[in-house]
Amino acid sequence: MIGCYDFCGHYEWTFGWLERAGGHDLVREYWNEAINHDSQRHARDLIRNEGIPGMLKYWGHTLLEESPDLGFNITHRAEVFRIDFHACPSRGFLLRNGLNNYRDYCDHCMGWTGPMLQEAGYVIDHEHNHQGQCWWEMRPATAQGGHAAPGSVAGDKDVRLRPDWPDDFSKLDRYEKANDPDDKTTISPT
Amino acid sequence: MSTPAGSELTYTDTKPQGSPDFYYAVNATFRFMLNRLGRAAWISYLGELGRGYFAPVNERWRTGGMPAVAGYWRAFFAAEPGARVKIEEAPDQIVLNVQECPAIKHLRAGGRELVKEYCQHCYFLGSARAEAAGMTMRLEGGNGCCRHIYRSAEVKLPAQDLGQIKEARS
Repeated sequence: MIGCYDFCGHYEWTFGWLERAGGHDLVREYWNEAINHDSQRHARDLIRNEGIPGMLKYWGHTLLEESPDLGFNITHRAEVFRIDFHACPSRGFLLRNGLNNYRDYCDHCMGWTGPMLQEAGYVIDHEHNHQGQCWWEMRPATAQGGHAAPGSVAGDKDVRLRPDWPDDFSKLDRYEKANDPDDKTTISPT
Repeated sequence: MSTPAGSELTYTDTKPQGSPDFYYAVNATFRFMLNRLGRAAWISYLGELGRGYFAPVNERWRTGGMPAVAGYWRAFFAAEPGARVKIEEAPDQIVLNVQECPAIKHLRAGGRELVKEYCQHCYFLGSARAEAAGMTMRLEGGNGCCRHIYRSAEVKLPAQDLGQIKEARS
């Protein structure tokens, strides 16, 4: 039986299998069709119907289940919903168990939430460091501006204030007002 | 790391049980593969997953024999929320009596449309893993209640009759 306890392990393994079977497009279609439109349809319905309060209901519940030791922080205002992951339960599972069957597991989050939020009228600012730390800001697609300054939304819970947040910016994947998992850049030091 | 009998599970987490909403993703993954790639590809996926991802567990089974199989499944089901399973142990055979499948239970509770082939995954995955460990595996029942039988390869078992595996129903 395929279990839920080690879900992140076989989920990541599946990305690699799909890419070998049908290329990158098949992986993207899997994230959108199987995860966004089927598995996580409860999230999709909540956020399409309720916007940011729906995000709070969905992520507030699911992250508590996945990360009962609170390796994350949620901040929300009328115009922005933000999550800081200090210890991603999913990526952390892979790192602790030495699992690596796909080139960038972290892409799966944008792979299904990107299209889901696009359908609901939102865009995403996001960075991840591949080590279990990342941050997300979700705003209406009409919102102006780029990434908020560190600490300006989440205060001292902002993951970018951690001493181990990379100084080597090439280790970060960065998205600006994005909905597509491939719409990312690695950024250069300033 | 606080896991239920964590040493029996090759891949361990910091929490004692998994999040059952992940069963939604397993069911959706099967639907996607069956619709997009077909049944043969889905069976191939399960076989490769069994021989690849689960290789460390299979090796423990190969070297540890039936006690290792029983220990693994005991720890496995302790980490799956809502499972009700009794394990019968004999020197040459292990039988998992799944009285309530945690996945089927949660998918139904969540109002999800079950892939009708859902229960077959346990056979295609389990038999691939058993074969890698020098064992055979057969499955009876399904749709929320089933029996998994593991035996050493020297003990001949009739070929699996897929008709003995019930379709999963929502």
